[in-house]
Amino acid sequence: MIDVKDLTLTYPGGKGVFDLNFSVNEGEVMGYLGPNGAGKTTTIRALMGFMRPDKGSCTIRGLDCVKHAPEIQKFLGYIPGEISFLDGMTGEEFLKFMNDMRGTRDTTRQRQLLDMFELDPRGKIKKFSKGMKQKLGIIAAFMHDPDVLILDEPTSGLDPLMQNRFVELILGEKAKGKTILMSSHIFEEVEKTCDNVLIIKDGRIVEQSDVQTLKGSRRKGYIIKTSEIVSAKQALESAGFEVQTVGETAIEVYVTGENTDRFIKTIAGITVLDLDVKTQSLEDIFMEYYGREEKRS
Amino acid sequence: MSLTLLKTTFKRNWIMLLIFFFVLAMYMTVIVTMYDPDSMDELMSMLDLFPPELAKAMNLSKVVTDLTGYLASWLYGMIMIGFPMVYCIILGNRLVARMVDNSSFAYLLSTPNSRMKIIFTQGFYALASVALLFAAVFGTGVFLCTAMFPDALDTGAFFRLNLTTMLVNMTAMSISFFFSCLFNETRFSLGFGAGIPIAFLLLNMLGGTSEDLKILKSISIYGLYDPVDLVQGAEVLWVNLLYAGIIIVLFAAAVIIFDRKRLPL
Repeated sequence: MIDVKDLTLTYPGGKGVFDLNFSVNEGEVMGYLGPNGAGKTTTIRALMGFMRPDKGSCTIRGLDCVKHAPEIQKFLGYIPGEISFLDGMTGEEFLKFMNDMRGTRDTTRQRQLLDMFELDPRGKIKKFSKGMKQKLGIIAAFMHDPDVLILDEPTSGLDPLMQNRFVELILGEKAKGKTILMSSHIFEEVEKTCDNVLIIKDGRIVEQSDVQTLKGSRRKGYIIKTSEIVSAKQALESAGFEVQTVGETAIEVYVTGENTDRFIKTIAGITVLDLDVKTQSLEDIFMEYYGREEKRS
Repeated sequence: MSLTLLKTTFKRNWIMLLIFFFVLAMYMTVIVTMYDPDSMDELMSMLDLFPPELAKAMNLSKVVTDLTGYLASWLYGMIMIGFPMVYCIILGNRLVARMVDNSSFAYLLSTPNSRMKIIFTQGFYALASVALLFAAVFGTGVFLCTAMFPDALDTGAFFRLNLTTMLVNMTAMSISFFFSCLFNETRFSLGFGAGIPIAFLLLNMLGGTSEDLKILKSISIYGLYDPVDLVQGAEVLWVNLLYAGIIIVLFAAAVIIFDRKRLPL
């Protein structure tokens, strides 16, 4: 459905994306991860036809993203990374404007979405909170029931309750067979919604895998308080775990998903005073991927 | 052209148009009220108190006694150029560069309308609003003059005067619109979009002060515009055509550049 081939798009400063190759199949939800400035938004600019690539091509349903942008927009929904609405409008006026520009007459879906996100679109957008603006952006992207969705950090500014609503929305769209490319910073969101993920760093794709594999490689830190710190450390190290001493009475052990069982069995022989789990953030996962990447090169 | 967008652009910008119209209408009322056919000689002799260079810079040097010439000299020499120029600079920047800079333009492009169609609509509004402004100014002028000095206004000449003044201001609008399409950042768009029309106006004023500096006038877009000669029956067809030509070339270049360039949205 979405096909990116040898896409290179560089900025005057030398940044950009280089030789990207990936596709998102029909009905697939693809997560697009990477630190700030890695090239996520640049890729999306190319897919939206805002920027002509230097080399390579991107197509959606076989249509060229620059040449056939208006045709593509008929079945595409988009949430910009940095949402900025036309100033001076009310939320209601904005949604009506977008419907008129798209030629959408049926507002059933729009009303459903307004209910779902509990948004009252009356009032000037300028006076909206960050979260309300984000909700308005989400509604504008989904209200014409598009087949393909390109979402650039769609939940930034939403509270946890609304982030969950958004996950529900994505799962519902997925069930309807929609194709979605979604960049995100929040691992839980990607984990719950996406089938596959792309990880980009410095304008190049460094990893492309399914979410299960990514989860398996996701390490957790377990902080164990114990009275027999030396022997505990020895036992764990000989079992092949990475161990660090934290203070006088605690150690931290790094365990990947597939080794959890072995870890539990190893610590069964130790006097554990307390056990804390330190969940790895997405940044930690990036660091791991990037660390690996650097070791390889 | 997208009618939906045109309507929305109008809704978002008509207040500014109205404000500029009120300012011009106010000036016009004051100047028409000050007209006194019996004391035109006194008014002209008042000009002698001005330094001659200043009077020339303001396009006030020619001796006129009729109402139409009086308006051309006192109103169209400076006010009808300077004030609408500010309007052109602000609007030109607002219509494109500001929306690209704050990235709200992304929403226009995430609809099934081509970039060409959207930018053409914005440009059309820019020029049409200048036309509307001068249509209103012309109407106000005819109304005020008929009400206060029946039969004193040469309506035909006054119409030709407004037509050319409109074209001059549309040229300023095209310059501002062109830079708005060329640059992605407001500071550059405003810098060039305001700087160049202002520079042209200053060159024209400076060029009017002495024979030695006349060359400056000829490189300004305002150099060909002589409101008093115009109402006194000078041939303006080729001047109008030249302005129209500049407008078309700048407009086309702006649209083509915008259609092709990379937008950091």
